[in-house]
This record gives sequence, structure tokens and C-alpha cells, in this order.
Amino acid sequence: MAATSAEKLPAAPPAEDMEQRFRRLRGQWSWDTRVLSDPAKIMGHPAMREIIAMGNEVVPIILRDLRDQPSLLVWALPKIVGANPPFEGNNDKMIEAWLKWGRDKGLV
Amino acid sequence: MSDYLRALFPELRTTPFRLTSPSDRNYNCIGWAADDTNNWWWPEGDAPTIYWPPSAPRELTLAAFGAVFSMLGYTVAVDESHEPGFEKVALFADPDGIPTDAARQLASGRWSSKLGEAEDIEHELHALAGEVYGAVALILKRPLVQGRGPIPDS
Repeated sequence: MAATSAEKLPAAPPAEDMEQRFRRLRGQWSWDTRVLSDPAKIMGHPAMREIIAMGNEVVPIILRDLRDQPSLLVWALPKIVGANPPFEGNNDKMIEAWLKWGRDKGLV
Repeated sequence: MSDYLRALFPELRTTPFRLTSPSDRNYNCIGWAADDTNNWWWPEGDAPTIYWPPSAPRELTLAAFGAVFSMLGYTVAVDESHEPGFEKVALFADPDGIPTDAARQLASGRWSSKLGEAEDIEHELHALAGEVYGAVALILKRPLVQGRGPIPDS
């Protein structure tokens, strides 16, 4: 079952660009973790770990994804960038703060 | 979405269920069971949007989750049967006893769960048992608050 045993990811196709790679990993992550509550399982999923390891280059892609489809993907941003922008409240507020941060930096 | 849920929870292929809310990343199953749709309740995690009652044990155990619901007025129930005058919460746990999900009982006796950041669904309690959530491990109940009826079906 995907949500608890996704230790292996499908092989990456050759010549995959960063956006394609992100889409593939994001889709796998979402399928496997969307019904879970444990943040360690959500953020520790292999696809999420790979997204985070993509580093700063993936940040604009994540921001566009959050703009179009708000999600817990926002939890990846402080792990890549190092800290959250100031905000108070729930995950929607956290997403708003990151989108403002991205707009201020011309990333989204 | 329904096909996705049937793929994850095979019992939903043979028992009735329905989506009762849109997806929402602001709250999870424990928040839903605790009547809080603005916080992601979990004892562990470094995201600043994760909430756990400050005086509750921060550990991933049924005892810690039970303690949280005890603070909300719940006590251990004998079973999942519908009891007039009470509302019930069921905690699921994996084979190692690690909590995975919570469901709350509706006025009809059926159950409602928020599935991670996905939708709320109305379902038969054990229909979510399986590889993803494990099995029902603890049933809790509390008297209905006067002036507030049981949680109505959507």
C-alpha cells in the first residue's frame, strides 16, 4: 500500500528537467502521504526528501505549486531555505507568508 | 478522490462512505476529533503550525493521545456502540501501537474522519482499518454538552 510502504520511488526518466522531476516527486509524495497525519511520515517520505535535496533551485517551483494548489508542501520550504518568514496562524497563513516572501524576492 | 480512497482503504469498496468536506490542509484527524478545524494536532513535528496541548505528553503513544482526549472530558468506553447522551472518539493505531488516525461518532452512529490534509468522510468505523491506519485501538466517550447535540450528519 502506497501510504505506508513507499520506500522505493519509480525510476526517473532520462533527461528529466527540474520541473518534471519536481512534478513526478510531488505526485508520488501526495499519493502516498495525503491521508496521513504524522508530520514525520509526511516530511520523511523519500520523494519529499528528494524534493528538499533539490535545494534553492526548486523553491520557485514549490512557490508556484503552493500558489496554485495550497498544501502541506509548504513545510518543505523552511527545510530548504533555513527559516520561515514571520507569520502567525495555521498552514494557510504560513503559505501566505511564503508567497509574500517569494513575491518580494521576485521568485513567483 | 473516491477511487483514491478506495485504493488506500479497501473496505471502502464494499461499505458505504461519502465525502463530507473539501480537502483542508489546516487541520487533521485529531483536530477534527477534538472539534478544532484550525490546527494540525500532533505531538511531534517541527513545523510551527503543528499544535499539541501544552500540558499533554509529547510522545507518539496511545497513552499520550488518550491523555489529550481526557483533558477534553473523555473517558475510556467499553465499545463503539452508539450511546444516547454520549459522544465517542475512536483512535486507530498501527501494529506497534503508534496512533495513526482518529474518528468521531455522528448522531446517526456512523463515524466521521478527516483524512490527513484530504477530505472528511462519513464511514463505517472499521472501514478505515488496514495497512494505512492499522486498527481501532481505543474508544473514548464523554457526555454530550448540555445545549449541544451530538455531531449531526453532514
